[in-house]
Amino acid sequence: MAGGIAVPRMLQISALFVLFLASIPLGYLLLRAIASGFAAASAVLLREKTVSTLITTVGLAILVALFSAMIGISSAWLIQRTNLPSPGLFLVLGTLALAVPSYVSTYAWIALIPSFAGFAAAVFILSLTTAPYVLLAALASLRRIDATQEESARASGLTASQVARRVIWPQSRPAIFASLLLVMLYVLSDFGAVSLLRVDTFTRVVHTMYKATFDRSAAAVVALILVLLAAILIYVEYKARGSAVAAKSGLGSIRSATRIDLGFKKYLAASYLLIIAIASLGVPIYVLITRFVSVAAEINVSNLVSATIATVSAALSGALLAMLFAIPLGILAARYSGRLSRYAEFGILLTHALPGVVIGLALVALGSRLGFLYQSLPLLAFSYAVLFLAKAVGSIRTSIARVPRVYDDISRSLGNNNWQTIRKITIPIAAPGVITGFLLVLLTAMKELPATLMLRPTGFDTLAIEIWTQTSISQYGQAAPYALILVLVAATPTYLLSRPDRAQSSESRENMTL
Amino acid sequence: MAALILSAAACGSENNQRVSEGESLSGTELTVYSGRSEEFIGPFFADFESATGINLNVRYGDSAELAAQLLEEGNNSPADIFISQDAGSLGAVAESGMLTTLDAEILNLAPTEYQAKSGAWVGLTARARVFAYDPVKVTELPDSIDDLLDPKWNGKIGIAPTNASFQAFVTALRQLRGEVAAESWLAGIAANNPVAYEKNSMIVEAINAGEIELGLVNHYYIYEVAEALGGEINVKNGFFAVGDPGNLINVSGAGILNTARNSAGAAELIKYLLSNESQNRFVSDTNEYSILLEVPSPQGLPTFADIGTPVVDLDALKDVRLTQEMLVRVGLL
Repeated sequence: MAGGIAVPRMLQISALFVLFLASIPLGYLLLRAIASGFAAASAVLLREKTVSTLITTVGLAILVALFSAMIGISSAWLIQRTNLPSPGLFLVLGTLALAVPSYVSTYAWIALIPSFAGFAAAVFILSLTTAPYVLLAALASLRRIDATQEESARASGLTASQVARRVIWPQSRPAIFASLLLVMLYVLSDFGAVSLLRVDTFTRVVHTMYKATFDRSAAAVVALILVLLAAILIYVEYKARGSAVAAKSGLGSIRSATRIDLGFKKYLAASYLLIIAIASLGVPIYVLITRFVSVAAEINVSNLVSATIATVSAALSGALLAMLFAIPLGILAARYSGRLSRYAEFGILLTHALPGVVIGLALVALGSRLGFLYQSLPLLAFSYAVLFLAKAVGSIRTSIARVPRVYDDISRSLGNNNWQTIRKITIPIAAPGVITGFLLVLLTAMKELPATLMLRPTGFDTLAIEIWTQTSISQYGQAAPYALILVLVAATPTYLLSRPDRAQSSESRENMTL
Repeated sequence: MAALILSAAACGSENNQRVSEGESLSGTELTVYSGRSEEFIGPFFADFESATGINLNVRYGDSAELAAQLLEEGNNSPADIFISQDAGSLGAVAESGMLTTLDAEILNLAPTEYQAKSGAWVGLTARARVFAYDPVKVTELPDSIDDLLDPKWNGKIGIAPTNASFQAFVTALRQLRGEVAAESWLAGIAANNPVAYEKNSMIVEAINAGEIELGLVNHYYIYEVAEALGGEINVKNGFFAVGDPGNLINVSGAGILNTARNSAGAAELIKYLLSNESQNRFVSDTNEYSILLEVPSPQGLPTFADIGTPVVDLDALKDVRLTQEMLVRVGLL
């Protein structure tokens, strides 16, 4: 978008401040890596292992992005554009997979098939775990495309596939590419699935080095490779995203395209979606329930309740803080395409690729010097805000970008200044998208483990902590109630994510995006 | 400010360190970093609290991760005492000079081979490395870890190469046989295509499920898995011949931080865990070996003397970096 408008001073200052906070983990990594010295760093980097880890990590990220795109886009198209039976149900099922942490679904598959491990297994699990991100993004862009565009394209003689290529794809591409970037960054930073499946990605290697050698500097050097990889991905996505912005034919509301009649194939389509739902949702829940029943573990109700309260309170405060941090950066990215906004976006996305253990240790190093703040709820919430800032900023950016610029101009011509325009025009219109971002961060924070382990107040055990504690001593039966509650609790924001059309006015549907 | 008041209060309580009953410690706070899981040590903590009136703030976690966290916190650590699942993590924290030398009163409670030479940490319980096996499929039991190099075990052995307990065993092997011999054993095992698992418990589950026939684990995992699966499992513990490196005994242990605000309370806790009563309870409740020679072995398990543990310096088990490099070289990591 065109620059030219001066960035309001307040916005600039608050964006810089948030950016400074978000760059703490990166700064920590650099300091640690530098402390190791050049010789030690090159010894770590020039290992044979580095090459194989690089191939594994990049290969995993690319394959997961491919499969996740296939599952996500096809599901979105079937749900939004065909006469699939009960599309609402499949949307909820497709999204609910987000409520199952990758470590829980991995453990479930291992429990079912003990030899389940290795690269292919990791591609399988991570594709299923991340597909909902693509589904939601693709769905939002499909909903936004005005039917009149497609109809006039058809009328001028284009075939259905030509319409898809020339009309639908260009308008969906930015949102889908953005979601795929998040998917690949997620793969870079995932620890639970790759460690259980014994796939050596950089994140697992960093973790192994921290754990077994207590060598924080060498691990930091390896983590910097991760940062570099993430930087390349972000750059590629930035170039590939293109500048296409979805346009409406007018300022009026968007008309949905007519649904394609699949004929009897709609049952095939339904079975396809059902198989995906069984793999991502059915298997974990089935295993959790059977394991739980088979031991008939005594449920410690008070523990369960306190862990649920801990999870919800920490995730809620983390998500609120993340949204607060994200507002100046989101507005900056959507409205003022200067150098500051590009660097800001880049920096936040880099942080997003860092393994939780790195962010955790960075905040331990800093937090332990903060006295009473260390291992307190505010610092834990702060760590969530830093960890998931990219998700929050992304959703705010896209939802604000969808507010027509002309509204801003009208507002200004009526005598409102920049801040008044933002407050009175931009925020109200962008609110649904912002809520989506909030739900997404909330959901992700509920499942967070490595940073929670280090930064939670002592004795403050979230559901994720309880699950981790129990599975680490092979008591999966005892972990089952916690895992079930976590899936249930996480299902609430997930459900809301999948149903913005039901929950809100049709007007807000246009702005629903990732 | 709050920290100042707290540390002033802590100084006050340190002056009363010699009061052995711990009565004066009633109402004080003690922050514990525990690498031992709540499931196993939680009941001991609860009883200690009611017996002494000391309030415990327990932070549970993985031993190595807690050690890494302690190293990162340095002198700002809120922890008073670090309880670890293995000697390696204690050794790493001790090496950085963060652990205080324990009183002779405590060190005298445990045999010298189960404590740091420097006196920085003391063992709490002991666990033996064993081979867990499928008693139906494995009829001829191996005498030595070298028997596992036989091609007949190809693809049938489970190990946990990323796990601290396996790496401690390899570190001990390097100490016992030297670098060259240790690496050639590992290369031989790697050539036998072992199945690698993340955790010991997964190895036992895999044996029970018929995926593999034998695995190198700690002795108590078969009990844990049996309980988790809700009954009898088709897995047994086996010991190698007397003196074999495969029979390593490792310990869980505890050390007190230099910066502890309640080091008297921390000392009380260690004494409590080393008491005859607690030790007997570890044996009966968690199937671990007591660190005290007079306490009998867990039911159905041989005594230390019968196992014939190799003589290993537990202090040196923290040196896992070379072990890891070796595991990487032979392709197991």
